[in-house]
Amino acid sequence: MTSATTAVPAAAATVQTTERTSRLTKGVRLTLFYLLLLIIALVFILPYLMSVFAAFKPLAAILSQSPLRPPAPLTLDNFKTIFTQYDFGRYLANTLLVTVILTAGQVTFSMMGAYAFARMEFPGRDSLFWLYLMTLMVPNIVTLVPLYVMFAHSHLLNTYWAIFLPYVLGVPYSVFLMRQYFMTIPKEVMEAARLDGCSEGRILWRIIVPISRPIIITATLLAFVFGWNNFMWPLIVTNSNSLNVLTVGIANFNSNFSVQWNLILAGALVALIPMVILFAIFQKHIVNSISLTGINR
Amino acid sequence: MSVAAAATTMVPRQEHVETASKADRHRIRTAFAFLAPSLLGVILFLVIPIIFVIGLSLVQWNMLTPMKWVGLSNYVNIFEFDGFGHSLVVTAYYVILNIPIQTAFALGMAMLLRSKRAGTGVIRIIAVLPFLSTPVAMGVVWNWVFNPSTGLVNQFLAHLGIAGPAWLSNEATAMPVIAFANIWQYAGYNMLFFLAGLAAIPPTVYEAAALDGATKAQQFWRVTMPLLRPTMLFVLVTGVIGSFQVFDTVYVMTAGGPGNATEVASLNIYNTAFAGFRIGEASAMSVVLFLVILAITVVQFRYFNKRMTYEIA
Repeated sequence: MTSATTAVPAAAATVQTTERTSRLTKGVRLTLFYLLLLIIALVFILPYLMSVFAAFKPLAAILSQSPLRPPAPLTLDNFKTIFTQYDFGRYLANTLLVTVILTAGQVTFSMMGAYAFARMEFPGRDSLFWLYLMTLMVPNIVTLVPLYVMFAHSHLLNTYWAIFLPYVLGVPYSVFLMRQYFMTIPKEVMEAARLDGCSEGRILWRIIVPISRPIIITATLLAFVFGWNNFMWPLIVTNSNSLNVLTVGIANFNSNFSVQWNLILAGALVALIPMVILFAIFQKHIVNSISLTGINR
Repeated sequence: MSVAAAATTMVPRQEHVETASKADRHRIRTAFAFLAPSLLGVILFLVIPIIFVIGLSLVQWNMLTPMKWVGLSNYVNIFEFDGFGHSLVVTAYYVILNIPIQTAFALGMAMLLRSKRAGTGVIRIIAVLPFLSTPVAMGVVWNWVFNPSTGLVNQFLAHLGIAGPAWLSNEATAMPVIAFANIWQYAGYNMLFFLAGLAAIPPTVYEAAALDGATKAQQFWRVTMPLLRPTMLFVLVTGVIGSFQVFDTVYVMTAGGPGNATEVASLNIYNTAFAGFRIGEASAMSVVLFLVILAITVVQFRYFNKRMTYEIA
């Protein structure tokens, strides 16, 4: 009896102290948490911030000032130079043209293939799907040399066609992603539409596309980012300045003008900024999209 | 009677079959029409090149003079004369620098950002931004950041009284810096897969573990990690396949140097094929690299399959 009465306040006291220490550690942990978040944010943002600062500074300021200091008299000269004295306008236009064609073709044709695999019956369907799955594993670098030889043989080197052709007819990854998504749409939806006399093209365009927006946006973004950032293939199939895309233009510029940081960084920004804008507009979609591509786990 | 009944039912059925087969044929035609573009793409730009690269690896050819059959000697020569063994070692070194840290960083960020606390949403978005940034353009930015005299890193080190090295022209530091650039680029992207994987673990599992007296560390190693295995496999397999082909950042940041310290496999293939125009040797390198990537992928699947005993739907 006595032991019980003495035990109660003792227990209460320990509860109180653990509560106090836990509140204290909670405060410390919360501070630590936000400190970590801040560091992560800085690590990812600083490179952009510094390059933006530098691109608006004259070379002398880049060489003498801290990279973290904002441009005091802001100058547009670097951009003026790369667009007028060098061909960055051309590179930008080339990149845009090639990327838009690549994206439009890849998404449309992959979607059609995905629909055929998901919801149409035809002989050899499963073995053809296996063929797609197997080519999915093939690293790009492995097909580089033979593709180059094929394009050289077809006299397609140094054309716009060469830059987008290998990717414009649809790629297995995109077919696979969309096929998996289309499989989740109930068969009855298409059967009902067929009974109503809908053609397959109409079913795909009017029924499947509207309900599959998330995966189509995903495929579109992936194709666009791939096309925009693609470097090795355009580098080897084009060797005239007028056909250069941004990545090739930046790499050449980098090796020819290695000390002119003002121009090099302004050039890099021409490639980076459109992606940042794309990201700002589609950030939610992009984050959800990438998670969607994990469905093949 | 029954025969007559069968006969009367036979007639319309046959008609039905005929119209159905016509519809079937139409449907098959439509299906192949839908499939045609992507199938053409897969055959022309993937299947044929793969077969072709094996053929090319058995010849000596500079694209000008006629091909000469040399059998398997390219496979010997690339190791003896072209330093492809060195390239594979350098590539493996890059993968080892890159993948563990990138994966740990991605998982760490995911663990941190899975909480619903204010601010996590913004950081998630910021962390994914690098995934979109053009590697070539970022390579240029990193060249500047790690520049020995004007770069941020050495300026910062100078404040601390340390004379920083010439990062990209130093054999010891060049590859780690390239690995850093790629970790920066893809950590946030991989984080998203871990976030999705973590979200799929039901909270009840943790409650049960806590009731059994498991500490936070035990919960991580005994609950989180085993249940994340499918995600881990996906992240590692895609990461390793991508890393073995690293090219853009290396081309812009070191071009394989200093010496050939960062001459990764893809750069060696590029130089052999498009600077030396030795198509046979470059093709043999491509085949070997493919086999290496394939073998490592198979090993990863085997490793994870043996341990993937948990299934949570």
